[in-house]
Amino acid sequence: MKAKEFNIKWGMVIDLDKCTGCGACMTACQVENNIAPMVDASNKLRTLSWMLVYELSNKKAAPDAEIAYLPRPCMQCGNPACVPVCPVVATDKNEEGGIVSQIYPRCIGCRYCMAACPYHARYFNWEDPVFPKGMEKALSPNTSARPRGVVEKCNFCHTRLMKAKDKARQEGGNPEALADGAYMPACVEVCPTGAITFGDLKNPEHKVHELAKNENAFRLLEKLGLAPQVYYMSKREWVRKLGDNYAATGKAGAAKKHS
Amino acid sequence: MGLDRRGFVKFVVGGVAGTLFTPVIWQGLDDASIWSQNWGWIPRVPKGEVKTKSALSKLCPSGCAVKVKVIEGKPFAAVGNAANPMSKGGVCPICAGGAQLLYSPARVKSPMKKVGEGKFEAIKWEDAEALLVEKLTPLKGQEGKIAAISGDETGSANEVLSALLSGLGNAGGFAVMPGEMYTATRGVKLMGGNGQPGFDIEGADLVLMIGADALDSWGTSVANLKAFAASHPTGGAATAQYIYAGPTLNNTASVCDKWLAVPPTATATFSLALAHALIEAGAVSSAADFAEYKALAAKAAAGFEAATGLKAEALKELAAKIKAAKAPLVVAGASFGQGAGALDFVAAASLNVLLGRVGQKGGMTVLGAAPKAIASAADRENAKDAASLLAQVATGKAAPAALLIYEANPAYALPQAAEMAKAMGNIAFKVSFSTYMDETAALADLILPAPHPYERYDDAMNPYGVAKATYLAGKPVLKQPVLDVKDPVDVLLAAAGKLGLSLGFETYADVIKAKAKALGADFDALAAGGIWNGEPKGGALSLGAGALAKAAPAAADEKAVALAPVTRLAYGSATLATPPANLLNVRDTELKGKDLFVQLNAATAKKLGVAEGNKVKLSAGGAEVKALVHVNEGVAANTAAILLGFGRSAWDEFTKGKGDNVYKILTVSDEAGTGLKVWAGSTVTVAKV
Amino acid sequence: MKTQFSVAKFDQKLQERWGEVMEEKKQCKGCGGALPFVIGFVAAVIAGWVLFPDLIYSKKTQPIRFSHKVHQEQGMECSSCHTFRDDGSYAGLPTNEKCMECHADVVGSDPDEAKYVEQYAKTGKEVPWLVYQYQPDNVIFSHKAHESFECKSCHPDMSKNDTPPVYYQNRLSGYSKQTMKMWQCERCHAENGVSNACHVCHK
Repeated sequence: MKAKEFNIKWGMVIDLDKCTGCGACMTACQVENNIAPMVDASNKLRTLSWMLVYELSNKKAAPDAEIAYLPRPCMQCGNPACVPVCPVVATDKNEEGGIVSQIYPRCIGCRYCMAACPYHARYFNWEDPVFPKGMEKALSPNTSARPRGVVEKCNFCHTRLMKAKDKARQEGGNPEALADGAYMPACVEVCPTGAITFGDLKNPEHKVHELAKNENAFRLLEKLGLAPQVYYMSKREWVRKLGDNYAATGKAGAAKKHS
Repeated sequence: MGLDRRGFVKFVVGGVAGTLFTPVIWQGLDDASIWSQNWGWIPRVPKGEVKTKSALSKLCPSGCAVKVKVIEGKPFAAVGNAANPMSKGGVCPICAGGAQLLYSPARVKSPMKKVGEGKFEAIKWEDAEALLVEKLTPLKGQEGKIAAISGDETGSANEVLSALLSGLGNAGGFAVMPGEMYTATRGVKLMGGNGQPGFDIEGADLVLMIGADALDSWGTSVANLKAFAASHPTGGAATAQYIYAGPTLNNTASVCDKWLAVPPTATATFSLALAHALIEAGAVSSAADFAEYKALAAKAAAGFEAATGLKAEALKELAAKIKAAKAPLVVAGASFGQGAGALDFVAAASLNVLLGRVGQKGGMTVLGAAPKAIASAADRENAKDAASLLAQVATGKAAPAALLIYEANPAYALPQAAEMAKAMGNIAFKVSFSTYMDETAALADLILPAPHPYERYDDAMNPYGVAKATYLAGKPVLKQPVLDVKDPVDVLLAAAGKLGLSLGFETYADVIKAKAKALGADFDALAAGGIWNGEPKGGALSLGAGALAKAAPAAADEKAVALAPVTRLAYGSATLATPPANLLNVRDTELKGKDLFVQLNAATAKKLGVAEGNKVKLSAGGAEVKALVHVNEGVAANTAAILLGFGRSAWDEFTKGKGDNVYKILTVSDEAGTGLKVWAGSTVTVAKV
Repeated sequence: MKTQFSVAKFDQKLQERWGEVMEEKKQCKGCGGALPFVIGFVAAVIAGWVLFPDLIYSKKTQPIRFSHKVHQEQGMECSSCHTFRDDGSYAGLPTNEKCMECHADVVGSDPDEAKYVEQYAKTGKEVPWLVYQYQPDNVIFSHKAHESFECKSCHPDMSKNDTPPVYYQNRLSGYSKQTMKMWQCERCHAENGVSNACHVCHK
């Protein structure tokens, strides 16, 4: 199946050298997307973390030990592995911007997409979204609550894209050429160090356009050819190596596949 | 014509066939599928206009200036307020979930009176306030009979509390929860200064953080993070170096250019040994006590390798980097925000004096005393610390009959917590002004629910760490609180009136507005996220050699390891258990089910004879904490790192009974020369169970 | 191309087969042995087309008899009350704030106006209007994006309406009878070359 090309590609460049792993992005994501808190959130097989901050280690003994934090949203792959496996077309990548779409009421919960996604970006609702009494009054208007039995994932806070477009229309601008920063997901908005830069990878006026081409930029599991729209960057070589940047050759400086 | 069986069957078949040609089945199926998409128990999301309102969100220790997003009058999200020059649009992981905390299951819903062991009964506000006045009336004028503990470092509520106590003849009864501000202010005094220290992280080109977890839980963390971010442009070259010296490879250290693993028992030794390396590299100071300081530094350098497990080379490299920097800054603090002695502070802060960085741009400052709204309020630095107060209560040296607890959780968040909670039992009448049902509220005789930050007026004077005098204020986002709560200060002011004491104000809002006026600031501008800044001050500081000379070297105990309690801002604070939404952030190598993990590096684990996944107990001071071992190279030598803030016995199902309370095994000792209670250098024994 | 389950196709088939049935029915006249079958068939068809809609929908009336006609006669435009906010979001039905610009106190003689003032304007309670085009939580619809269409292309023309029409609520799904179904949205999007990706309409 040939991947669709879009004129707009919403993407992130996450500077891992600026991520302290504070977790504000994870909190903001839950708030924006109405993810109910779990009593035992240490059972990571059951939690829903559209945005998840991983801890990376260089595996060296102190004093040479180093760690880095890696926030992992949905990669919004250019060739998503999750889309073709969906038997009910509850997920697709078919919209300008390249965000991988999903419709919850149609999902039958077969979880093929979860098996297909190499980034573990998809989550299954093992439980109904039950909020502590009263907390359902603090729900965000931006995402519907999903029932038990459906799969969900990060969608770059797509409702914010819709709202940004409406705002552009209201102000007489072009909704298909949003200014840098007019649309940003919740995680990007709250990040206290601004580690996540967000924008249209194809628009030269957006910062991500250049940043994605930075010599320290890489994508996770590049060799799989899924062409994620999320880039990472780090000056630390061990971090880039863990991201599988040049797994194909094992050597630094190997040609990077950029779209 | 009668209807026979055959005819009936034909009729029914006809009916079924006919039904197929009607919308009954098709529409029924369609409607049923829609029905199945909207179960009644799945919460509905609000529709309507989203508005934003400014608030001062004092959920985290330093307070975040936020914009609260509100729909149908209900807050649902919070983001940073870009108009605020301090946090510059940033928000911390606690305040980002502030709207959800309005409905925290742990919130106290109405005034409660204790009616038996662990049993409470909801009462009306008028009865609760009458009870408060009734209990305080006979104690009025009796020195030592009323005490108060405040867990708020920055609010003007402290002025009201302390003025109230003075007015009732108990001027000495005001105590504060231990924090950096408390010890650091004393440290500055030992260096011949007066006031709270500040650190201009934004202006420095090399930031050495000794202990201070400045990019996560120390000081004004969001402002610090913004300063870090500004010096590290994405895709560009960094304009400042950040170095962390502390017991764990924590969030701060993860983005630093260098992490120096310093056990919490060796913080002062590290600082002084670094001073020695700097002096060797040519640093001189005109401070009068330089000669004495130099000798102390040389002594410390001799014991450096043994105390820290680091190579002396590392120090030399660091000293060279500092010498090469134009505006180096040393940020001094305890790795978990409290319990470090004044001497640990002095040792680290003296480096700024040695480098001539006091009062310079990107250096260390000393903030003068802030103007007060209530003249009779005591100065903050004259307050007792709560640990000392409760220690006196335990031994009978102090015998207050009433204790007012404001936004503090001394029964949980003081070292040797179990003993502190026990000491509280000696006080006949305890009132807890608390937003949440915390461990202290659970021990109180009267609980007076305090509002959530979105429901109250509040302010913050000089949140710890700011380089120049700073004032923030906020007003309620909500017209009506979501629960039956009242502002503690309003309650106290009303009670004062009934006790025949006038503090000059009727509400907390008036106090804050008066304070803003005293500073020459516009309250409305402040409430919109503005800020008031005073001029930074320097002031001559000594190297504190006189005080440092008295420091007793830590007694080496072969069997014990240093205890490094770890704080992560996202997991809560001394006054806030992990918010439900933030539990997701906790790693399964930190907490799994109900078990906490103790982090040990491989060498320490080997020495202790324990391995990954082993169940161990950490004992000290007659108390113990159970945990599982996680081998983690991000921990200093001979150090056991473990998360602080778990092991709750009150609160809600999200936190209750998870992990263990590490405060229990922090052992208090008296610091030589300062008389302060310290527990940052606690040691524990680790044994398999 | 993808195959998609489409209500549109069903509907179309339904209508085709309905035609066939009518044909059959005509031919069947006089087949005595099949009479019970025909009676049963006709009865079911009548029940399904006449009684069923009555049963499946509950009828509701608006809390206030709001007259669009009267308001239009005052020279008001649709957009006087159904406005876009500054951020481009659509305000939908006006809230008390808007209504009270004129009706903070009774200005006319209509009893429903008095009812509004007394029960809502004075108490600050919002009127629980019934929304004919109600869409569930999982739908996001931008009026701004559809601004080039006339309101009437999707909504009933209310301008001449003196008494609000009866609100039919589906007893099973809880939706309004006029709620636009997904196939209708999809068809128009397809015809106009607009993406039908899930998130274009769902949240």
